[in-house]
This record gives sequence, structure tokens and C-alpha cells, in this order.
Amino acid sequence: MSADAIQLLVGGVLLGGIYGLAAFGLSISFGVLNVLNLAHGEFLMLGSLASYSAFVLLGINPFVSALLAIPVFVLLGVAIYTLLLKPVSDKPPQQLLTASILVTLGLSLVIEDLTALFWVRPVTGIDYSLPAVQVGPVIVSSLRLLILLFICFLAMALQIGLKKTFTGKAIRAIVQSREGAKIVGIPISRVSALTFGLGVALAASAGVFYVTLFTVTPAMGLPLTVKYLCVVVLGGLGSLVGSVIGGLVLGVAEVLTAYYIGAEWSPCIAFALLVSILVVRPWGLFGQSA
Amino acid sequence: MKTMVQALAATAFAFLIALFPASLKAADVPEAILIGATVSQSGHFSSEVGPFKQLMEAWADTVNKKGGIKLAKYGKSLPVKFVIYDDKSDQATAKKYYERLATVDKVHLMFGPYSSPLTFAASTASENHKIPFIAICANSPKIYERGFKWLVGVIDLGPRYTWRYWDMIKAAGSAKTVSFVVEDTLHPLGVFEGSQKLAKDAGLDVITSDIIPADTRDFTPVITKLKAQSPDIVYVSSNIPFAVNFMKQARELQLDAKEFHCIHHSGVFRDSLGEDAEYVVGQSYAVEGMKLGDTLLMEEVLGKSKISEPMYPWAPAYVAAFEIAQAALENAGTLENQAIMDALKGLKLETVLGTAEFHPTGYGTINTYPSQIQKGKYVVIWPRDIATGTHVYPRPAWK
Repeated sequence: MSADAIQLLVGGVLLGGIYGLAAFGLSISFGVLNVLNLAHGEFLMLGSLASYSAFVLLGINPFVSALLAIPVFVLLGVAIYTLLLKPVSDKPPQQLLTASILVTLGLSLVIEDLTALFWVRPVTGIDYSLPAVQVGPVIVSSLRLLILLFICFLAMALQIGLKKTFTGKAIRAIVQSREGAKIVGIPISRVSALTFGLGVALAASAGVFYVTLFTVTPAMGLPLTVKYLCVVVLGGLGSLVGSVIGGLVLGVAEVLTAYYIGAEWSPCIAFALLVSILVVRPWGLFGQSA
Repeated sequence: MKTMVQALAATAFAFLIALFPASLKAADVPEAILIGATVSQSGHFSSEVGPFKQLMEAWADTVNKKGGIKLAKYGKSLPVKFVIYDDKSDQATAKKYYERLATVDKVHLMFGPYSSPLTFAASTASENHKIPFIAICANSPKIYERGFKWLVGVIDLGPRYTWRYWDMIKAAGSAKTVSFVVEDTLHPLGVFEGSQKLAKDAGLDVITSDIIPADTRDFTPVITKLKAQSPDIVYVSSNIPFAVNFMKQARELQLDAKEFHCIHHSGVFRDSLGEDAEYVVGQSYAVEGMKLGDTLLMEEVLGKSKISEPMYPWAPAYVAAFEIAQAALENAGTLENQAIMDALKGLKLETVLGTAEFHPTGYGTINTYPSQIQKGKYVVIWPRDIATGTHVYPRPAWK
């Protein structure tokens, strides 16, 4: 295998790590609550702006910001769920999904326009980098590598949390049977709010890293949400490991397509993969068939 | 009886006719010069021109504090009053509001919205209603190929956006090869098409041209290709977010071209890249230290509206548009549409960005100057009579 091919594979895997991290929160709220959060990209953008402010004003390292962002955005997510989604949470699954799309789409537009109005910088990016690692002719971005490790750590921590803690077990119980969970006394509303908050916090922590690699604009949210939705469906709804693997598959596919076929074909590959998966395995790579 | 009523009616009519000229005279003098515009206060262009309503109002305030604009026909100066709507960065909305400006608000003059696509849509309203329209940040040739008679544009056509840069490269003769990395949107594509030809005319060998989707975040494939080809100049024709992402990864993957040219390299670009932005060449309408036209006006208007040039590098083009509008109105001396349009078409004015004139199809002469980031400052490097510093070529390799 040539050095260029290895470089492309490494680049694709590292890009996939970013996709996986960003898609993680979307997978949780979709998989557990049947809530399609179209404002997911907006929370990622808000996390980026918070990270930017912390870095520029207070000199806080983005990796520290990623941890600090989690409790703040969990609270924000809980508040949003309680105010906007709880009133529709008892509707039948199909109606809940439709209602959640409408509510979060509205929320997305509000966040986008308010940010454009109040955030004075037209495009935000921070001057933060780490020295790249060179292995022979292949260059590995340290920052992207750390992000990949962070997502692996998060995936493991969440898997353990879901299996070992009461809240985790409650979340799994809700996934299996909402009615059954209610009968055995699980506080559905509280656990649902916490789960939504967790999804929002994961989006924000992805945003904290996002701004170190890419620029952020107030209008970037919705297109990102659509892309990460592809990752979630590819990996399997509700599967955390699926989100990571879906991200990696998409990252590698995009990079190889851009190099060997042409950059203009790169965005199509996400949808080509999505359609292929929906035809062959509608529940995704790691999802469970109904 | 019938004859008497007819006589009374005739007398009343004659009386009204006698009074009419006086009342017409009073009504004929407008209270203010109405200028209509839209600003993308929301939507995706809001990040680029969101606060420009304040910019327009700051100019109006500056003019009005001096008594307004002198219009000879009325024997006095009239204040400037803006009617501004939010076009939401959307073509259909922009078109709707320009129709409203023409039919409901009945403005005397229009400033165009931001970007070529919005201007393309909005300018049909001015043409239909015969109202003078000054396009500002819109340089797609398509806008001026429609034979519109009520449209002029402040800036030169997109394909000529960096002609001064290629002029400099040709004069220096050091660079031999160039590769283009192009964002697949209207303005960068237009600039690329012109630049490709200008580069060949300057004697350069164009090695590759990669047209890349606008929302691309990862440039590993194109950078891997460019490393193998090793061009002297990597020319990035794109908007700012694309250019920042590309440059970050170019440094990370150690792509060491002798020169990076990013057509837009504003303050956001510089701040986001820090040291990595050093020696990047781009295009600027105006930089600190340039002495062209009424720089005091620019300082005053930008200062009042709290808009900084490095963050909003197209703000000076708006100031030039204000100067053009004022001169055309003064030359016309009236608010009659045809007179204003004739004054615009015949205008030759030294603006804050150089000489402004209009081609018969409507596009303007104002264009950017190549500038290089040196120690965090923007230095104009060509032409020599305008330059505020010297071109550093080749740039030092990445640390």
C-alpha cells in the first residue's frame, strides 16, 4: 500500500472520529426517546462558541472545556425538554416523532437567528493546534487522534453507565418498553429529560473540539444535523458503538471518494451509503431489527 | 337653474386650477431622499453583513449632520432617509422587498443586497419600476449580461477580482506553477475562471484545478495530491471558512508551497490561524495606511457603526457606494429617476477605493489590491504606487 493510501486511510479514520463524536448525542435522543433533535447541530455550534469564549477570554484549554461543557449543557437540555418536549412526550410514537421534528426545527431556527443577532463575529475559529506526529511519510494530526480517543472513552463510559447505574438501567428499560418502565415505577419524565440533556451535552462537547479544527458560523447547524443523522442511521438507531463505527465508515468513504473519484462526489457518498444500508439492512450496521 | 349650477361649478373649477400650481410646488419638494435596501440580518449571509444596517444609517447620519445632500432643482439640501428590510439571505425574500421598496415605499434610489445571487433577483424590481439601483458586493458577470438599464455596480467583474495579483506575479517572474483549490459557489468559481486565464497570461503553468463542495471540512485528499505535485503557488478561491479549514490542514499535513493565495483573508482568517496566517496573500479593498480618497469618511462611518474593516473587509465597498450615490444625486440635482440614472452612468469619481466609473453594461471599476499578512498586519504589495510594504516570496517554510 502506498504512503498516500495510508495517509488517506489515517485521515479518513480521524475524520470519522469527529463524525462519531458529533453523532453520539443525536443517537441517544433518537434511540431512547424517539425524539429527532433537529437542533442538534445548533447545540454543537453553541458548544463551539462557548469553547471559543473560554479559550480566548479565560485561556481554558478545549479539552478542559469539553468536560466543563457537559454539566452546563445537561442542565440546558433538561430545561428545553421540560419546556418544549415533555408536553408532547405521551403521544403515540409516530406523532411524537413528528412533533419532535417540528419543535426542534423551530428551536433550531430560533437559536440560529439569535446567535447571528448577538454573536458579533461573522465566522469563529480558534488558533489552537498540537504538533502533528510523523510516522515515516504519514502525518497524523495529534488533535484529531485525541478526539478519536475521547470518543472511544465516551463510548465505553456510556456503555458501562447504561449497564451499571440505575439511570442507565432506567434508560434501557424505557427503550425496551415505555409502558412497562412506567408500571415498575421508573420516573419516565425525569429520566427522559436527563437523557435529552445528555444528548445535548454530547453535541456541545463535540462542538468544543469542532472549533479547534474547523470554523463555526451561526448557520452551520442544520446541515450538520442532517449529515450526523446519516451517521446515526448508518450505525443503527440507538447504538452508541454503531455511531462510532458509522462515523468511521463515512469518514474513510468520503476521503477515498474525494481522492480517487473527485472531491465533488464526496458529499454523495454519505447518501449512497445511507440508501445502500436502508435497502440491505434497514436497522443499520449495529441496530436491532424490530 | 341648471345654467347657474354650471356657472358655479365652472367658477369653482377655475378657482381650484388657480390654486393648483402653488400646492403642486409645495408637494413637489420631497421631504427627504429615500434610499431603499435590504441587509441580510438573518440567514447565512448575516455572519458577513449582519450589522450593515448600522453602516448605512451611520452614513445617513454623517450626511444629515452636514445638512443633507444638495439638490439644485429644489434650491436646498435634503436629508437622507433609509428604508431597510431583512432579506433573510434569501433570493425570493430580497426580490419581494425590492418590489415593496419600489411600489409601497417609493424610494428614489436603491442599494443592492449582499452577494451576486441576491442582487440578481433583487435588481429586476428596479428595472421593472425604472428606479436607479447601485449593486455593491455583487460581481457575477451574469448580473450585467441582461441588458438592464437601471443598474450599476460598484465593483469590477468577478473574473477580474485578482488581476492586480497576476500583474504582480508576471512582473516578478519568480513563480512558475500554480494549483487552484476552488470552493464550488458562485463568487469563488467566477474568480477562479478569470484567474486561471490570468495565470496563464502571466506565463504560469496551471498544474491542477480542484473544484470542491462548499461544505467540505476535510482537505486530506486534495492536500495529499498537492504535496505530490508541489506547485509554487496554491491559490485558494473560496469564502473565509473554507480557506481557514484548508490552511489549518495544509500546515498540519506540511504542504509547503512557496505562496498561499487565499482570495479572502480577512481578520477572521488571521485570528483563526494565528501564526499560520503569516505571509498568506489575499485581496483587500482597503488596508490601514492606504491613502486613497476620503479616508476620513471611511473612518467616521465605520467608527460610528462599530464595524472593523479587518472583520468585515467588504465594508469599504459600501462606503464607496455611499460616495457614488451622493455624487450622482448632487450631479443630477433632482430626484427624478432618469436624471439620477444618467448622472450615475456618466460619473467619474475618486472614491475611498480609487476611481469609480461604470461600463455601459453597468459593472464598475473598483477592485481589490493584493495584500499580504506580515506580523499580523495587512500590507498592500501591488501596485508600487499604492503599496504599503514589500511582497515576501517565497514564504518561510512551516516551523
